[in-house]
Amino acid sequence: MEKLAYEKPVISKITAGVPNKFGLPTKLKTISAIDGIAVEKLMQEYGSPVFVISEKTIRETYADAKQAFETRYPKVQFAWSYKTNYLDAVCSIFHDEGSWAEVVSAFEFEKALSLGVNGSNIIFNGPEKSADDLKLAINNNACIHIDHFDELYLLIKVTRELNKKARVAIRINLDAGIYPIWDRFGFNYENGEAWNAINRIMLAENLDLIGLHTHIGTYIMSANAYAIAASKLANLYMATHRKFDHWLKYIDLGGGFASKNTLKGAYMPGTETCPSFDEYAEAISNALISSEIPHENLPVLFLETGRALIDDAGYLLTTVLANKRSTHGRRTMVIDAGVNLLFTSFWYNLGIYPTRDLSSHVEESTIYGPLCMNIDVIRDAINFPQVKTGEKLVIERVGAYNMTQWMQFITFRPNVVLIDLDGQPHIIRKKEELASLQNFEQNPKR
Amino acid sequence: MKITGEIKISDNGFVFNSRTGDSFNLNPFGLELLKNIETGKDFDQIKNEVLDRFDIDDLTFEKDFYEFCALLKHHQIISQDDPLDFK
Repeated sequence: MEKLAYEKPVISKITAGVPNKFGLPTKLKTISAIDGIAVEKLMQEYGSPVFVISEKTIRETYADAKQAFETRYPKVQFAWSYKTNYLDAVCSIFHDEGSWAEVVSAFEFEKALSLGVNGSNIIFNGPEKSADDLKLAINNNACIHIDHFDELYLLIKVTRELNKKARVAIRINLDAGIYPIWDRFGFNYENGEAWNAINRIMLAENLDLIGLHTHIGTYIMSANAYAIAASKLANLYMATHRKFDHWLKYIDLGGGFASKNTLKGAYMPGTETCPSFDEYAEAISNALISSEIPHENLPVLFLETGRALIDDAGYLLTTVLANKRSTHGRRTMVIDAGVNLLFTSFWYNLGIYPTRDLSSHVEESTIYGPLCMNIDVIRDAINFPQVKTGEKLVIERVGAYNMTQWMQFITFRPNVVLIDLDGQPHIIRKKEELASLQNFEQNPKR
Repeated sequence: MKITGEIKISDNGFVFNSRTGDSFNLNPFGLELLKNIETGKDFDQIKNEVLDRFDIDDLTFEKDFYEFCALLKHHQIISQDDPLDFK
């Protein structure tokens, strides 16, 4: 006689509270394959945990963003935000799609050069630029976004030493209705600091002011904030023309578009609440086109969107190591991917899904990573079905920041695999090994 | 190991503890195990029946059974007659 399928016995306490207006999903989502390759197969071949990036998703997302802006504004240029994900293979895809490079350090600058990006197509942001960094940027004709007066005067000094001109823009912080205001970067708009900086730059012999830049924040859920920022930059753009008879070349609205991840503490899921590319594009384009700027002198619109372009393309495949009960009876689960790989787990409720249909009976659970650290909590509360040890899980929307802010801690960082447009997987960053780490160390002889 | 007097178990897996006012849901297999415990069967009896009928190995079932019992105890649904019953 064929035996019956076994399901772990479960008892769950019924807690009264505000009813969930969405009800419970009738079926838990599963992710069994990525771009046609079974998750099981990917993990057999490349181990667990393993990051997987979909080239198809990157290109499709980029195409969506490009279409949203190019159908509303005549001159648009994306610049790939290296710090969001600077793996060579990922940057190369964005450059292949036509993105410039937006870098915030000499390391990222050199990385962009090594990938064949023309120096004049590099935007150099960030508050830390040494004299040597500035020389590198000037010699490569990059667009230097000045962050503060000390940097401005250092740049004037460096251009004199080199006897070369530098192409510059200034970073401007402003009140776009997003609080707290990000005022630690750049020159302030409202108190006139930005206008003072423009005046000083216009007087400098070796500085060619070509743009205005702002970055109002990150994960901005209001498209209207960008409209306010664009209007304020348009005012400065016109003021510069009126006073100096000089048309700037571009307005750069930075990044900060929200991805579809759900922020911790959010009532509604990110997929429901985050503006689409069309909504951001509509707000920004309307603000620029309806500003005082004559149509024939409209600036190029630069966008340094990072998170919203890459988050969806990244997955982390992981394995269940153990099921436990806390002293309060709460179900907990340990997986083999920790917060050292998932920096974004500190601010998102990351979506974690099984690879196959499991029991429809779910229980509120806490998911821990494998680190011997109390802070290693991937999800503090998630309704999840019972799973056995060894079960494969998929964490979605992890393409942004995790592969740059990850930390080598306790164990090696895993393989990163890219699935190309033909559905072929390639390792784009190898799993670390003892030798690769010890290579940096020196042990003095005693 | 016995079910405390204040516990009421319905046939569809709803459990009510009239002493604490707490209520619970059981999945079908949880309900079956609780009914078995209610009839006074011990672990070995329950295990043999489960292994005969279900596609499961003895160690996995043992682990799940004791985890389930720990939760039942935590929710004050079962109690042990003699706290020293391991003697």
